[in-house]
Amino acid sequence: MAATILIVEDQVLIAWHLSDLVEGAGHRVLAIARDPAEAMEAASRERPDFALMDIRLHGGTSGLEAARMLFECWGVRSIYISANLDPSTRAQAEQLQALGFVGKPFLPAEVIAAIDRAVKTVVPL
Amino acid sequence: MSETPETILNVNDNEAARYATTRILHRAGFKVLEAGTGSEALQITREDLPPLVILDINLPDVSGVEVCRRIKTDPATASTMVLQMSATNIAVIDRVNALAAGADSFLVEPVEPEELEAVSRALLRLHRSEAALRRSLAERELLLKEVNHRVKNSLQLVLSMLSLQGHRFKDPETRELFTKAISRVTAIAAIHERLYQDADPLTVEMHTYLTGLCAELVRASGMEENAQASLQIDVEQMRLPTEHGVAVALVVNELVMNALKHAQPTSGPAIINVRLVRHGSGQVRLSVADNGATPEQTSSEVAGLGTQLIRMLARQLNGTVSIERNAGTYAVHVTFPLQSAVSWRQPY
Repeated sequence: MAATILIVEDQVLIAWHLSDLVEGAGHRVLAIARDPAEAMEAASRERPDFALMDIRLHGGTSGLEAARMLFECWGVRSIYISANLDPSTRAQAEQLQALGFVGKPFLPAEVIAAIDRAVKTVVPL
Repeated sequence: MSETPETILNVNDNEAARYATTRILHRAGFKVLEAGTGSEALQITREDLPPLVILDINLPDVSGVEVCRRIKTDPATASTMVLQMSATNIAVIDRVNALAAGADSFLVEPVEPEELEAVSRALLRLHRSEAALRRSLAERELLLKEVNHRVKNSLQLVLSMLSLQGHRFKDPETRELFTKAISRVTAIAAIHERLYQDADPLTVEMHTYLTGLCAELVRASGMEENAQASLQIDVEQMRLPTEHGVAVALVVNELVMNALKHAQPTSGPAIINVRLVRHGSGQVRLSVADNGATPEQTSSEVAGLGTQLIRMLARQLNGTVSIERNAGTYAVHVTFPLQSAVSWRQPY
C-alpha cells in the first residue's frame, strides 16, 4: 500500500531527511511545502493521502493553519512532527483528527511507525 | 501625580460607613468603585479587576469571608488584594477565618484615615511587585520554551544533516563508521525529545527512552525486513538522573550495534535481549545478551571506540562491567548504583 504524502516543513534539510524516510518506506512524496500557501497549492494539484506537518513554518506561519485548511477543504489529515508539541498544540491538532505526533529530534523509526499507522488508517485497501 | 490613580473597590452595605471610607480613599487620590452586596462585589471584581478590594465582613447576601474566598480561588481574580474590615465586636476567630480565607490584611473599625490609607498603599505596593514577578516569570517561561525549541530543532538539523550525508558514501566501511556516528548522536539527541515536556526535567523515564532507541537501532541495521534479528526489550519503568540516562543509552547503543553486527546464531534469527532492572539493594543492572555463537573475542580484541566508550560510561555511572559467556549466549552486564536525582519540585 504505497501512499502519497505531502511534506510541510520549512527547513530544507529536515524536509529532505523526511523525504528519504518516506521513499525508503516505499511511499511517494507529493511535494515539499514550506508554508500553508504552498501546502494548499500542492494539494490542489493532487490530493495527498495525508501530510507530515511541522508546526512552525516559513515566515512565522503555522502548521496548524496549514493542517486546518487541508482538513477542511479536502479532509486531508496530518501527522505532526515538531519540536513544539505542547498540550494546546496537541488539542488543536486533535480537532483536525491528527494521525499522530512525533517530537523532534525524531527517531526515524518513530516517523516510519507513525506513517505505517496512518497508511492503515486513511488509505483504502 | 501624572499616573492614572489606582482603583479600589469599596464593599459595604452600610451606606454611611461606605461613604466615609470612599471619602478617605478619594482624598488619598485613589479611584473608588463601590458595591453594597457580595454578588455585586464579585461581579465588579471580575469585570474591572481592581488591584485592591476593601471588604466589609457583614454583607446582606454572601458573607465577606466567602466573597474573599471566591475572589482568591478564581484564577481570573486571585491576584486581587483583599482588605477585610469589620466592626469592633467581631471575635478573634472570625478575623482568623477571614485571613485563612485568603484576606491579605484585616482592620477593625473605627479606623483612622491615615491607617486606612497606609494599609491600602502597602497592599497596592505588594500587588504591584507580585504583578511584576508574574510578568517576569511569564517572560522566563517563554524564553525557556524558545530555547528548548531551538535546542531540539538544532539537534534535529544535526541528525538530518548527518543522515543526508551518510547516503553519499559508497565505501561500506566508511558508511558503517558514519552509521555508528549517527547512532551515537541519535542516542544523545533523543533524550531531548522527552525531557522538557515531562513533569520532571532532571530525570528521564528509561522504558520509553530505550524502547525508542532500540527500535531505531533495528531499523537502521536493516535487519527487521529480512527477520535476521529480533530485539527483546525488558526495561523496568524507572527514572534515572538525565546524565545517567544518557550514559545508559550510549552503552545500550554500543552493545546492541555490536550484537546486531556479530550475533550469528548457528540456526534461526539472532535474538538480542536488552534488560534494565533493579538489582539487589539500590543497584541497577543493564544487560545486553544475544544468542549468537560469538567469535572467540575478548574485550581486548574489540578494543575499538565502542569498547572504550562502554568502559568510560560505566565508570561515569560508578558501575562495573562483567561478561558472561554460556553455551550459545553472550551477555554484557553493567551494574551501577541507582542514584536519585536532585528533587525537582519541593513539596509545599
